[in-house]
Amino acid sequence: MSQRDLVAELQAVRLSAPPELRERVRLIAAASADRPPRFTWRRVLVVALPVAAAIAATVVFTRPSHERTAVATETLAAQSTARAAVPAPTTGTATKEFAVPSDNGRVQDYGATLSLRIPTPTGVSNAVKRALQITASLGGYSTSVHAGSYGKNANAELTLKVPRAHVQEAMARLSQLGTITSEQVDVQDKQAGLNAVDRQISRLQKQLAALRALPPSDATKLRIAQLTARIEALQRSEAATRRAAHYATIQLSLTTAEQVAPPTHHRHGPLHGVVVALTWLGIGAVYALAIGLPVIAVLLLVYLAIRTARRRREDALLSRN
Amino acid sequence: MTFAQAAEAHLDDVFGYLTWFTSDRFAAEELTGVTFERALRLWHRFDPDRGSVRTWLCQVARTVALDHFRSERRRTRREELAAPPEAIDVGFGEGLSPELESALARLTAGEREVVALRILLDLDAGNAARILGISPTNCTTRLNRALKKLEEALHVAA
Repeated sequence: MSQRDLVAELQAVRLSAPPELRERVRLIAAASADRPPRFTWRRVLVVALPVAAAIAATVVFTRPSHERTAVATETLAAQSTARAAVPAPTTGTATKEFAVPSDNGRVQDYGATLSLRIPTPTGVSNAVKRALQITASLGGYSTSVHAGSYGKNANAELTLKVPRAHVQEAMARLSQLGTITSEQVDVQDKQAGLNAVDRQISRLQKQLAALRALPPSDATKLRIAQLTARIEALQRSEAATRRAAHYATIQLSLTTAEQVAPPTHHRHGPLHGVVVALTWLGIGAVYALAIGLPVIAVLLLVYLAIRTARRRREDALLSRN
Repeated sequence: MTFAQAAEAHLDDVFGYLTWFTSDRFAAEELTGVTFERALRLWHRFDPDRGSVRTWLCQVARTVALDHFRSERRRTRREELAAPPEAIDVGFGEGLSPELESALARLTAGEREVVALRILLDLDAGNAARILGISPTNCTTRLNRALKKLEEALHVAA
């Protein structure tokens, strides 16, 4: 018998399951209709994995912006406390509790710096106009205004003189023009210097009175003229100091760009978060490869060894009749 | 396809495969029942994209048969000490000549298995190899070797 005939005879074999076996399998199959849907880990993973990935992506993409905000707030706080011990305002609207040191009737030079962020260039222009109106309404004036725009950004630097009595109101109203990014107060007491000048003037006036009591001579006249000029200069200087102290100087900075973040942050494009995430993913992948490859190699060897052993046992088992 | 439809369609295939594999008709009946019970428990794992129902049922049947062989080997080791093994009812099916049936019985279980899969069930080399857990080339080699052995046995008988 050829191999073809052999195969043909083998293929012609008809082998049917006996009726009792068929009935048994039908009963088994009938039970399948009553079975409730099975709880499987695969079904759970199909839902859980996308949810976990979405949460992870949210965490990865939102964390850098939080860090940036934290840096900005810390910078603000550091600037405020280091320069003038004024409570650092958080970004937001105006601070009505702006701390202006009490003068107690003393002569003081008062200076303040206020930086505001305005959303749009048009807003910067309007804020400049509004700041000048506020200053004028409080009896003040501006000594310099510098404004400019570049692309979608604009900024303006204003130096305002506001009567010392209205500085608190001025700061409160100016701070409402935008979001405060930084503020600084500088107070310099001039009273001690003025008192010293007063004492010097009194001493010079006594000398002048004594000279006038002497018989007039050319030397005496020259000396009287010198003392008189000296006293007048001191009095002018004192008057100038008092006039200057009557006005507070407010440096107002308006800008559309964030000033508080480090300069490098301004260069970040919209895909910076993705780049950071991919960088960390790459670092993680390198670590995973470095640690995982030997483990995977060992596991693969163990798997191959187990499979080979199982096949040999199986072959031995099936080598019998 | 429901499990009931799959069982109805492939019962004879599974029974035939197990009969040839075990060369024991009564054991094959019992193992076929066990196979479908196990298949029912595992039915949720069946993926039509990874293979046909018949291939999957044969894989389950093979696992059941291997468990049977292992337990039989342990049993015969114990019992052979006390008594010689009994003759079993082979019954490879209707239409086989006594010589061919005798030659089939002389094949090893592994050889009968590959003949059953490739010739009786008419599976292609890929599906048969998947059930056996070997490569298609290896499967074809095993089939050729088994057929040659059958041919030689028939030649000797003639």
